[in-house]
Amino acid sequence: MLKKIVFILSIVSVIVACSSSDDSNGGSNDNFDRTALLTNYADNIIVPALVNFQSKMSDMETAKSDFINDINQTNLNILSDAWLEAYKAWQHVEIFNIGIAETLSADENSGFVVFFNRYPVTVSDIEAGAASGNYDLNAISYYDAQGFPALDFLIHGVADSDTTPLDKFTTNPNFEGYANYITDVIAQMRTIINTVVSDWQGSYRDSFINNTSSSATGSFNKMVNDFIYYYEKGLRANKIGIPAGNFSVDPLPEKVEAYYKNDVSKELALLGLETIEKVFNGQAIVGSGASSQSFASYLDYLENSQLRDDINAQFLATKQQIQSLNNSFSQQVMEDNTQMTQAYDLLQGAVVLLKVDMASAFNVSIDFTDSDGD
Amino acid sequence: MKKIALSLFVVGALFTSCSSDDDNGSAGNQVVAPATFQFERNGSTTVDYNGQTTRIEMGGEFVSALNDNTKTETELDGMFTNTGNYFSTTALNESTKNIRSKTAASMDYFSANTTEANVIKADFDSWIANQVSEVFPNWENTATAGNAGQIQEAGGSMRYVNGKGLEYNQAINKALIGALMVDQMLNNYLSTSVLDAGTNRADNDAEILAEGKNYTNMEHKWDEAFGYLYGTDDPLAPQLGADNFLNKYLARVDSDEDFTGIAQDIYDAFKLGRAAIVAKNYEVRDEQAEIIREKISEIIGIRAVYYLQSSKATLGTDYASAFHDLSEGFGFVYSLQFTRQPGTDAPYFTKAEVDAYIAELMEGNGFWDVTSATLDNMASEIAARFNFTLEQASN
Repeated sequence: MLKKIVFILSIVSVIVACSSSDDSNGGSNDNFDRTALLTNYADNIIVPALVNFQSKMSDMETAKSDFINDINQTNLNILSDAWLEAYKAWQHVEIFNIGIAETLSADENSGFVVFFNRYPVTVSDIEAGAASGNYDLNAISYYDAQGFPALDFLIHGVADSDTTPLDKFTTNPNFEGYANYITDVIAQMRTIINTVVSDWQGSYRDSFINNTSSSATGSFNKMVNDFIYYYEKGLRANKIGIPAGNFSVDPLPEKVEAYYKNDVSKELALLGLETIEKVFNGQAIVGSGASSQSFASYLDYLENSQLRDDINAQFLATKQQIQSLNNSFSQQVMEDNTQMTQAYDLLQGAVVLLKVDMASAFNVSIDFTDSDGD
Repeated sequence: MKKIALSLFVVGALFTSCSSDDDNGSAGNQVVAPATFQFERNGSTTVDYNGQTTRIEMGGEFVSALNDNTKTETELDGMFTNTGNYFSTTALNESTKNIRSKTAASMDYFSANTTEANVIKADFDSWIANQVSEVFPNWENTATAGNAGQIQEAGGSMRYVNGKGLEYNQAINKALIGALMVDQMLNNYLSTSVLDAGTNRADNDAEILAEGKNYTNMEHKWDEAFGYLYGTDDPLAPQLGADNFLNKYLARVDSDEDFTGIAQDIYDAFKLGRAAIVAKNYEVRDEQAEIIREKISEIIGIRAVYYLQSSKATLGTDYASAFHDLSEGFGFVYSLQFTRQPGTDAPYFTKAEVDAYIAELMEGNGFWDVTSATLDNMASEIAARFNFTLEQASN
């Protein structure tokens, strides 16, 4: 009986798709309430997470100012704590590269992410910038010398010829340059997040919800693509696959997230996975907005609850494996990389479920491709 | 899961049928294979598999270097990974391709199983390392049970083996046929997961070409599969024996009268499948992919059985000849895990089964004391899984 319904639904959706010849991207013209889904995403998930992140950024800037006004190790430690809180909050918003966020950089796939979390950081650019005062954080060549990875180095790393992280701001010949650099990086991040939050709190929230088109530019289509893109790149590849050596000959312990702090890569990865789980199931990431319409409930609506369950089971297995890893992924890949590649394999296991099965069920085209061929 | 599969199938089938409405109205577009593997658009070829040609050429130099005792591990690893400019030509050294990254790297078998892929890559790494650390230092010493060295075939070639009688260069050469050529061809480029990846199908239907290219992505994926077999051969009139990998062993199998015609069958399937992509008939395309999967897998199975059987003739009398056959057999047995049973997502032999065979061959002093009974048993089990007999493969 269920089979029959699915069969009929499929025929109906395809016939509809066939007859609308001007809609090359297909699109499920079922009666699922996309407005309710988009409203849940905007009001209960995206905006609260962004506002929370904005607040942590503000705290971090305060800690930075206190440090610059009174440079000592205690204040640097307080700044480090604020940095970690902000970095954790970032894990809940990196996925939302939509609206004005995706227009803010020259990298169309990464959008605003380049100003916050492109790693590994290029330390030589920071050192040269601190020495010369010549740097442009809006230039493509500085995308990998700003954001949390740059702050990670500035707060926890040791500059060339120094002996402690604090030396950058005290005994280093370029101590003023380092103070300016850290100030400029945080100012840049705050400008960007303020722009994004203002956009959502202004006109964008309504246009996001109202853009129920099933074309590639519709909000739903973009959300699906952003979700899968973050899952595949931000989470799977950047946090796990690259350090595990899955795209190179050997493991690369220096390419973990927050390399200089080093003992938080697991914590950050788990928060990234939490974001994926909650977005999928339509649950508030920050605060307590009620669980509502989501990708998961849409799959239910399409009589694809099995797929929903398979995806959630895969997320759970992945979470359990990541939880068993060392707090420092650098240590993990050096001591027992097999555990790390097993985490990657579990993450990869959901890629097909999301990118092929779920995207097909939603009739959404994936707008990015792997550059795998030759 | 069934439900999903069913609905996807239905959606897929209906898309195909509605997209072909404006062509000739039949359920599937007519597909006519051209006489040769020649495909053009606007007067220019649409066929390109230079990356595969490059890798076959790299593999050729790499395998030769494995038998040169002046090479260092760094040099050999450098050829496996294309780092350090150890190839003979600038073109190879400056290529962005390398062999190791495509070893045990297919979408279907290894994209969500990188842990196992790493184990396989580590096998190759250790064979390379052992060739340098065990065999090269004993190049002039006579091999005995438990001791690496040289050993001469009756009136002929000198073989260089480890303490178990294994020629690492042969093991690597034949295992690469499975781990690189067969795996990439059958489990990657001929897979719907790759052919239909992203918007490939819609793009192919609309003849949207890859950026800056004269082919659609789907056409190109198919050609890359073709390239792993014919990459150094004449694509319009394959001579066979053009490399030391799959192309060579297709020639060997085809020259056995029990299997004569297999080369034509494979070529025809590649041609018809490619023509089907041009005609946007994916049913015919996938039928040809299944034919290729079966026939290419057979090459591996036949050669595994062949070497296990042929070694028996000299086992215990002409050790060097037997070891040479067994070393080739070792590599083909290893390659069984990369085969593909048509209509399934599985190889003819799992990795666990292959590992057990390899362990059996290497038990104790390895080839020095392996018995005919062991070889017969293994060969029979392998032949039984395939659509050929022990006798057919043995001569």
